[in-house]
Amino acid sequence: MRKVWLGMLALGLALSAAWAQQTQLRVFIGGQQRPDVMRKILDIYEQRNPGVKVEIEVGGATSDQQQQYLTTVLTSRDPSLDLILIDIIRPAQYKAAGWAEPLDRYLPKAARDALLKQYLPAYVRANVVDGTLVALPAFADAQFLFYRKDLLEKYGFKPPTTWDQAIRQAQVILQGEKDPNLNGIGFMGNISEGTVCSFLLPIWAAGGDVTDDQGRLILTEDLARRSLQFWLDLMDKYRVSPPNMAEKAQDTIRREMQQGRWIFATLFAYAWAHFQNDPDSAVKGKIGVTTMPKFEGGRSASCLGGWQWTISAFSRNKAQAYQLLRYLSGPEVAKILAIEASNLPAFPELYKDPDVLKANPWFADALPVVLNARARPVHPRYPEIADVMRRGLNAVLARTKTPEQAAKEIVQGLRTIYGR
Amino acid sequence: MGRPFRDLSERALAFWLLLPAFALLGLVAVYPVVKLFVTSLQDLHLAYGTQGTFVGLENYRRLLEDGRFLNALRVTLLLTLVTVPGAALVGLGLALLANLPFTLKWPVRLGLLLPWAMPLVFAGLIFRWFFESDYGIVNDILRRLGLSPLYWLTDPNLAFWAISATIVWKTSSFVALVLLAGLQTIPREYYEAAQVDGAAPGQIFFRITLPLLLPSLLVALIFRTITALQTFDIPFAMTGGGPGTATETLAMYIRTQSVENLNFGYGSALAVALFVLCMAVTVVYLRYLERSEEA
Repeated sequence: MRKVWLGMLALGLALSAAWAQQTQLRVFIGGQQRPDVMRKILDIYEQRNPGVKVEIEVGGATSDQQQQYLTTVLTSRDPSLDLILIDIIRPAQYKAAGWAEPLDRYLPKAARDALLKQYLPAYVRANVVDGTLVALPAFADAQFLFYRKDLLEKYGFKPPTTWDQAIRQAQVILQGEKDPNLNGIGFMGNISEGTVCSFLLPIWAAGGDVTDDQGRLILTEDLARRSLQFWLDLMDKYRVSPPNMAEKAQDTIRREMQQGRWIFATLFAYAWAHFQNDPDSAVKGKIGVTTMPKFEGGRSASCLGGWQWTISAFSRNKAQAYQLLRYLSGPEVAKILAIEASNLPAFPELYKDPDVLKANPWFADALPVVLNARARPVHPRYPEIADVMRRGLNAVLARTKTPEQAAKEIVQGLRTIYGR
Repeated sequence: MGRPFRDLSERALAFWLLLPAFALLGLVAVYPVVKLFVTSLQDLHLAYGTQGTFVGLENYRRLLEDGRFLNALRVTLLLTLVTVPGAALVGLGLALLANLPFTLKWPVRLGLLLPWAMPLVFAGLIFRWFFESDYGIVNDILRRLGLSPLYWLTDPNLAFWAISATIVWKTSSFVALVLLAGLQTIPREYYEAAQVDGAAPGQIFFRITLPLLLPSLLVALIFRTITALQTFDIPFAMTGGGPGTATETLAMYIRTQSVENLNFGYGSALAVALFVLCMAVTVVYLRYLERSEEA
């Protein structure tokens, strides 16, 4: 009898020791961030680190939907998430709300500076908030002009460098094709994050911005009005965009382009992998990518995107989570993401990597675009800023407000936010 | 084994038996409501890391100047005014239909139950696809009839009616279920007597069915009005409050302020406004119910 007891005790001890060595981590990513590819990446990590198991929790399909869920989890101080993949517009909010574990605790100043030097400077600016390192980049992103290579060639056009060219090419092709299912220029216009980029693009292209370097509001009503008017004109004056752009989200346009329904579309880089690899893609090999067009006499502007890994302030395994974060934000994972998900790397040297270029030939010209892409306003109240802008543009596209009215309301709305 | 309750007076027994229910109610109803009132008097904006300084009625003062709040209030009240009578009429029709002596009762009952059993957000998503301008079935029908398609979800007026139609479809089955139960409590003899006296069908309906159905109708209306004031899921799924803020309801604006903007102080003040609105409507209905019972 005594032997049995001893045996059970020994077994119990062994089991609990094994249990203690086993760490369970949970990472949160969005539905559009290719959970299948992320699983492969985490399998590699688990193989190399026996004793660590990593679970993926997949959130909503858009940045705003994911953040709604995360806000609930984080305001209730729920410890169930260890690592969170956040949009480039969020670090300031995470810092202000105290949701992100400052990474400086794990990185001495010298090591931190050496590490940050490896990344594209825009992502260092986005992730260091008031001197604190809030997150590290997973991948970069920017808006590009995707176009139908086959159609442009058929009509003898080169990829457009100005909006005037793009409009004219779209008009000629639409007239020539006489296809009621074909549309000209696609851009985001519904009430979602992408529409903020649509609103800002013409403002940046004209040399303006929302704030100056000190973060003071400088956006004028006139610049805002011109941006709203430009998108409205694509529908009503030039007739290269269908009249229901107020319904269109980024992924709606991506899906429609995949069915061959758009000549041009302003989309983020992720669209490429879908066009090339999705089994239902009708445009395999027919899509070209170029930098966003300029306005006559203006400059080319793109909206900076990208996703960052941050450690939840409420995680119970912060040290282990930090190890995983360093792996996920390192060059090895960036390369896998570039090849399998057409995610732009946050490391400049990967834009010359032969394997990456084989999967995404257009990455060869993408680096200057990412380097020159403009960041959306950095502010702890960014969600309110975004809401003012996207609802303004959406109302103009639905023709419920004139560009004058909406521009006035947008600037007034921004004044109350920046004035506090 | 002893019997702990044996020596208690009836009053004390009642107290102990009710205590768990009251404790639960206090925890899940009273505490959150009190907390909501307290938060609505605070400056609690997570984007600034503010920790809830007492600001008195500041949030309420802001409420009165907030055009978006007033618009959301207007949309909410209009939706209530349209969808409550709408659901009551359609629901009454459905209930009368289902009360007919069908030989096969279950397909009728199932058809009645299905919209009610479906989650609100599903209904919203399904109808969004119905009303979608390029691929939606509604515009497809219009095209087949040789009419030009309409932009249902991006025209403020059309969007309002599309949302109203969806809400009526979704909620009239609840009204119908309540009314069907009410119809079945009306004794058959009344109808037989009326027929013997030679009453016309219209007379039977307005003199017998409707008056006897009134208590059930009132109960259905109270529930329907309160859920109408709290409308969130269907417009959220169909338009996201768009175009602009044209179809944004009060419940949606509360979510935007608290969950998206992290302004819990102001969001709470908005929620208190909705709470007061719901209370006011309930009180009016209850008064009416009391009066009609006395009469």
